[in-house]
Amino acid sequence: MRSENAMNANDQWKQNTSDPLGLGGLDIIEPDYDGWQQIESALVSHQKHRQWQRVGGWLAVAASLVLVLGISLRNTGNEPSMQLHGDGFATQSTETASLDVKDNINALIGLSQNMEEQVKKLRQKTGSMPAESAIYVAELEDLIAQVDHELSLEPNSVDLWGQRVNLMLDLAWLYQQQWQIDYGHMASL
Amino acid sequence: MTLDELTLAAARRGDMRACERIYRKFHAQAFTVAVRICNSRELAQDVTQEAFISAFKRLKQYRGDSPFWGWLRRVVVNHAISALRKLPRHDAYELEDHMSPQQGDQTAMGNCMDLEQALVQLCDEDRMVVWLHDVEGYKHHEIAAMVGKTESYSKTRLNRARKKLRELISETDTLLPRKVGLNANA
Repeated sequence: MRSENAMNANDQWKQNTSDPLGLGGLDIIEPDYDGWQQIESALVSHQKHRQWQRVGGWLAVAASLVLVLGISLRNTGNEPSMQLHGDGFATQSTETASLDVKDNINALIGLSQNMEEQVKKLRQKTGSMPAESAIYVAELEDLIAQVDHELSLEPNSVDLWGQRVNLMLDLAWLYQQQWQIDYGHMASL
Repeated sequence: MTLDELTLAAARRGDMRACERIYRKFHAQAFTVAVRICNSRELAQDVTQEAFISAFKRLKQYRGDSPFWGWLRRVVVNHAISALRKLPRHDAYELEDHMSPQQGDQTAMGNCMDLEQALVQLCDEDRMVVWLHDVEGYKHHEIAAMVGKTESYSKTRLNRARKKLRELISETDTLLPRKVGLNANA
């Protein structure tokens, strides 16, 4: 009982020194508005923006990969010149070169498939396009169809797979630009 | 007021329902802190909105080692201080209609209202310091860091604010019987 009194006195003393005027006893001020809708829309556009930043980052990675593949392909193309040094060595270098080409084709096919999915998602999320962009998209899609036709005749052509990936990158870039315009309009509302 | 881990985890993942639950739970408290610092409902509304948006965007930075309200309150206070800094000087002394003293109201609202009225009559800096120290429990060094001043600035402001509040309350107390008397005679 005594210690309880002492504690109460202590609490009272603390209360008096930290809030001597009793400001903490003032009522909570109830807001007369509901700001959730505004907050939600701000958060949703923030999330979308971050998603697209990630897509942009992914595209940059894909572009870098294409560049690296291009350089490695160019180096692979130089390999057969080593045949001059002798028969045994020449055979070995040709085998290495053909293995590299196969790896590169597989990498390009994988990249092309990923780009395909990425473009599909971008197409779904992007709103209507201005006529000029729509024409450009149609041209790119025609070119992709043409490359696909050539690939059906020559499926192991590194050049053709490289072209396909580059065209897909162009298409994705176009959709992303359109989305950024849409996003800008939305943010300004 | 605590926040359950599930809601917090969902909000961190970007779940809007969880964010809304957090908003509904802390909205009034956050708004109160903003009004007490800004002395304006309109400005406090903007501050609260910005603070919630900012808090939800940075939710991953909340480590969970202290109460959530303490973290959120800090965000609100920072936004409120920043909003006050942007105000032209003359706006800071304007009183809000809903808080300005009105004849006859005092008897109904009692001492609490006296304190409320006294509080809105303080200058921005005094009111902010006394509220942050006495009600929100911030230490002088924390207040000093938040406003970018020294500890002695915070101590001086606190003493001045308390003194002014006491004076204002005692003035109200001496005026009150006269008003009641007038009403009684009428």
